[in-house]
Amino acid sequence: MKPIDPRTKLLLGAAIIAGVLAAKSPVSLFSQLTLILSAIFLLKKAKPFFHVLKMVVPMIFFVFIISWLSFDSYNALMLSIRLFNLLISSFLIFQYIPPEELAGGLRKMKIPFGFVFLLTTAVRFVPLMQNKIRCIREAQMSRGIDLRLKVKNTKNFMALLGPLLVQSFILADELAVAMEVRGYGCKNRSFRKDYRLAFLDYAVMIVSVAILTIFIHWETGL
Amino acid sequence: MGACIQVNNAQYAYPGGRQALKGVDFTITKGEFLFVCGANGSGKSTIGYLLNGLIPHFFGGSFKGSVIVFGSDTRKMSISKLFPHVGLVLQNADAQLFNSSVEDELAFGLESLGLAPKHIEDRIVETAKMLDIEHLLKRPPDKLSGGEKRIAGIASILCIKPSVLILDEPYANLDQQGISKVSRSLKKIHASGLTIVLIEQRVDGYLKDASRCIVVEQGKIIFDGKPGNAQKILVSQGLIPKYPKRTPKNDFPTRTLYRNSEILLSVNQLYCDLNGKNILKNISFDIFKGQSVALLGKNGSGKTTLIKHLNGLYQPKQGKINFNGQCLIGKDPSQIAAMVGISFQNPNDQFFQNRVEDELNTGLRMVRKDYQGWLEQICHLFQLQGLLRSSPFKLSEGEKKRVAIASILAMKPQLLILDEPTAGQDGRSKQMLAKILEKLSQEGLTTIVATHDLEFAQAVANRWIILDQGKIVKDGPPVSIG
Repeated sequence: MKPIDPRTKLLLGAAIIAGVLAAKSPVSLFSQLTLILSAIFLLKKAKPFFHVLKMVVPMIFFVFIISWLSFDSYNALMLSIRLFNLLISSFLIFQYIPPEELAGGLRKMKIPFGFVFLLTTAVRFVPLMQNKIRCIREAQMSRGIDLRLKVKNTKNFMALLGPLLVQSFILADELAVAMEVRGYGCKNRSFRKDYRLAFLDYAVMIVSVAILTIFIHWETGL
Repeated sequence: MGACIQVNNAQYAYPGGRQALKGVDFTITKGEFLFVCGANGSGKSTIGYLLNGLIPHFFGGSFKGSVIVFGSDTRKMSISKLFPHVGLVLQNADAQLFNSSVEDELAFGLESLGLAPKHIEDRIVETAKMLDIEHLLKRPPDKLSGGEKRIAGIASILCIKPSVLILDEPYANLDQQGISKVSRSLKKIHASGLTIVLIEQRVDGYLKDASRCIVVEQGKIIFDGKPGNAQKILVSQGLIPKYPKRTPKNDFPTRTLYRNSEILLSVNQLYCDLNGKNILKNISFDIFKGQSVALLGKNGSGKTTLIKHLNGLYQPKQGKINFNGQCLIGKDPSQIAAMVGISFQNPNDQFFQNRVEDELNTGLRMVRKDYQGWLEQICHLFQLQGLLRSSPFKLSEGEKKRVAIASILAMKPQLLILDEPTAGQDGRSKQMLAKILEKLSQEGLTTIVATHDLEFAQAVANRWIILDQGKIVKDGPPVSIG
């Protein structure tokens, strides 16, 4: 069977995110949380999920504290759950849209090639930049520069930022050369993969939009 | 054999005025394997940019003379017209590979040519088969080894089917295994009839693959002939380093020669797991005061992981590390930096000050020490007197490396550790580093050099610790190489 078109995946993803943002009642929020978590475990995405959780949990905790201080504990809890649902549903969506499919889908939606290329290249360079940050951090710590997260060390973080900026500019220059020597500027570019919408795509799109409409109506009365 | 490329009196200055080429003339004939070598900053990479039109179309600057590619002047052809004929593989494999998988990498150039999807698929399969990388096609570039990245980079250009393939330092930062892999691929490509221009500063052993050699020095060609005749000029120009002979004091010291009180560093039954993998397994050794040790092993053998344990960057899963009798486990690197100094492979990771002298002072300030006259001594030893007010980012690769090591040594550590100090360095720079290390050794400094450059290891160490798959497989005097 032909796999689902990336455009369908993007629409489905947008519908899920819209559903999460539209949820107001605690019942809806907790139901969504249960559904998303069940999907993560049923689709065997638990390992990368726990990895992402390490970054998400401190952020949620921070939001909870700020909103608790600003509003009250009930609103803080609801806001934190909504944010958590939003982040983990986005995580799940992007587990099924690899960068090249995302690029293909956006291209088909008439987004300019330059912008699509920028987006996919940025995704490609995330692990590279993470590695660079690690190398710079270790090199500076080896010089006796204390980079532990303490207020007194704030000034020391220039030692991390300076080399990172310089190396990013160097990398950007080299990337521009690499793109040029493989004909980035050519006018008659073709594409290896051509995406076409099939019956299944239309069915998924209609069902997801219908469910979203019903949900919004039920949740907000609109 | 007909001429593919003719370079006539090419003179080029980069924007900003740096004169990189000062009148270069040569012709590349079809089917040649041309080895272009020279020291850092000699202008050899600029020659590569000249041949495929990046100069003058991309870099700008001032260009005089002409480059004729298959009968057409590069001035009159755009890069998009030239790239299907002259392919360039860049030195930085991370910049070269900008797609999310190896097969997308190969497809990018073919899509630029406007080929139909079926032809693109065929070319990908054909190129992958030729270079034996079918198993890598679905892998993202960041999951490849150094050697695999190079070959994927070569494949991304090769599938465009250029007539001339230019490679800018394809052996940089690779271990022996990676170099052999790339070298085998290049021989295969050359045997298929392609013209190859290999730009390298590492001439050790790979010059013989070429049919012709050009030596570039300060923007001029000083030798053009058979690789067999180039040896003399390569030695005289310092491209093949002449290392100093080690003094007799460097006989391999054992516990019989050293008392236990002279143990500086003691590593005992060290284990390390990273991302669920056993990286180090039961590592035990003692380093005595004044020893010069080389830590050897191929890429991924655990050398860098081991040295990161010695200054607190990594904490072991199990085991003990004592320095001068003091336990290092649980200490932060900032507390250890004054005792154990490590300079890592890429000097650019260290620099953040505007001037070299500020870089040298940074370490001293951090460890809150004031050694009268020590910085002057270091500047003299590393020959940095004329560079103190320069920006560290604008130095040559050799100068950057010297500043990076000097800024670590400024903290006056008792143990100096260098991680791959010869990576990206030309013969002259390696020679100079070896002399500096010999001097430091004579003054009694204990050093550990992690490297896969065996000749350098032989020149700077009297004890070799060899790692393989996270285990010590040999610990003793240098073994004969050749």
